[in-house]
Amino acid sequence: MYGEVGNKLVQHAKRTQSLAHLPPYQSEMVRAATREVRDLDKDVATILEPFAGSFNPSTEPATACALLVNHLCMRRNKRCLLAYHRTRTDKLEEMCWSGVDVLERQQQQSSKAGGDGGPAMGTDSNSSSLSPEEEEYVRQYSDLLAAYKGQWTDIDLTGSLEPPRDLFIDVRVLKDAGEIQTEYGAITLTKNSQFYVRQGDVERLIAQGYLQRLS
Amino acid sequence: MKRRRKPSSPIHLSAPPLTVRPPLYFPVAGAMDIDDILADIAVETIPQETRDLQELTRCWVAERVAPEILAWPVELMERVLDRVRRQIELVEDQTGNMDPKTNFKLIVIQTELERFKFLVRSFLRARIAKIDKHPLHILAQHNASLTDPDARNPLLSPSEHQYLTSHQSLLSTHYSSSFLGQFPAALQRLDDTAGGISMVDKPDEDCAVFVRCLRDVGEVAVEGTEKVIRIKRGDVWVVRWCAVRRWVLAGDVELV
Repeated sequence: MYGEVGNKLVQHAKRTQSLAHLPPYQSEMVRAATREVRDLDKDVATILEPFAGSFNPSTEPATACALLVNHLCMRRNKRCLLAYHRTRTDKLEEMCWSGVDVLERQQQQSSKAGGDGGPAMGTDSNSSSLSPEEEEYVRQYSDLLAAYKGQWTDIDLTGSLEPPRDLFIDVRVLKDAGEIQTEYGAITLTKNSQFYVRQGDVERLIAQGYLQRLS
Repeated sequence: MKRRRKPSSPIHLSAPPLTVRPPLYFPVAGAMDIDDILADIAVETIPQETRDLQELTRCWVAERVAPEILAWPVELMERVLDRVRRQIELVEDQTGNMDPKTNFKLIVIQTELERFKFLVRSFLRARIAKIDKHPLHILAQHNASLTDPDARNPLLSPSEHQYLTSHQSLLSTHYSSSFLGQFPAALQRLDDTAGGISMVDKPDEDCAVFVRCLRDVGEVAVEGTEKVIRIKRGDVWVVRWCAVRRWVLAGDVELV
């Protein structure tokens, strides 16, 4: 049925919105939807061929209707595909902003699943949930984000969006993080120890899960 | 005990204590002119730094509440960023100084710095979120604001504009390499308006906002309804954004 694949893609996109991770890229469905559009376009061309450019919708209402249906289906598929891809890129951008290294995580997953295959190069293997195009997109978006952030070094754009209350906070070390430099000297962060430190110095470590903030 | 706490002295009922600037949310009938004069004097005696903070806070609130992106406050941001930079330098200069007095001063400065940084960061992120949401619409608006003689400031800062265009080209490359490249040529555009539906998404201009009136506006007609409301100075209203947009941009009304 026309548009069925598109519908499935939209459902996938909807589901993706509420998931914490990114589900595998549905390359089969994307390809099917694209094929459908191409087939429909060919259909339209064959229908219009005998008229040789002088088609009058009012004399041939049946043909006009078929054309309209084909046309709307193509548009609908395009919308579904756009929505699907946009939802996924939004998700990827969100990860870039929050400092998650998407590609690295993908590689870890694929090396866990596929052994020595390295970064998954094709969507045919199930190891990577990103399509090659998406991987490329993430790489370029991170560059773009870094460039934009670079203009605001004083502000630290990816910093906390909670209004700051105190300059210093209590933190507990969850994982060994080595030694960090602060303006009051170096601190060695060993597991299970507790510190009273400047929030700006440790924000990155909290985001990465090395430290836990104590209220 | 309870009885004694009740205000018994008549002082409470006499004239309210003199403030430099009367609170804006209590309009005083008849005293409007004096209020305006007082407000003018008050503005001049407040130092630039304090006014900038007020203005930045106002911009931040407005940007987070307004459905569409507002003009980039060029001069304000230059002043604020310059001051942030100077304060950071000062802090870097003074660290290592073990004198408890300077140390305490530094903590105060750093706390203030963190707060300023938060305001600017949140402000920028709110703008980026809007840019990501409606890129093509905002790009068109931005280009219009460049040629519009009435617009005092361009809609986007140069770096935001750069971000928008590169992000958009990244997205369209991604789309076309993923699927759009295999589409018939007539369907490859991203800003198609055929079929009566524009592909360019717009922010919802009918959504409701809370506003406080700073200067008398008079009668405001709410589009699409029969309603006409009179907005007086000090009033707080919940109205459609499109109805009060003009006055918010002019500064007669502020978003809260």
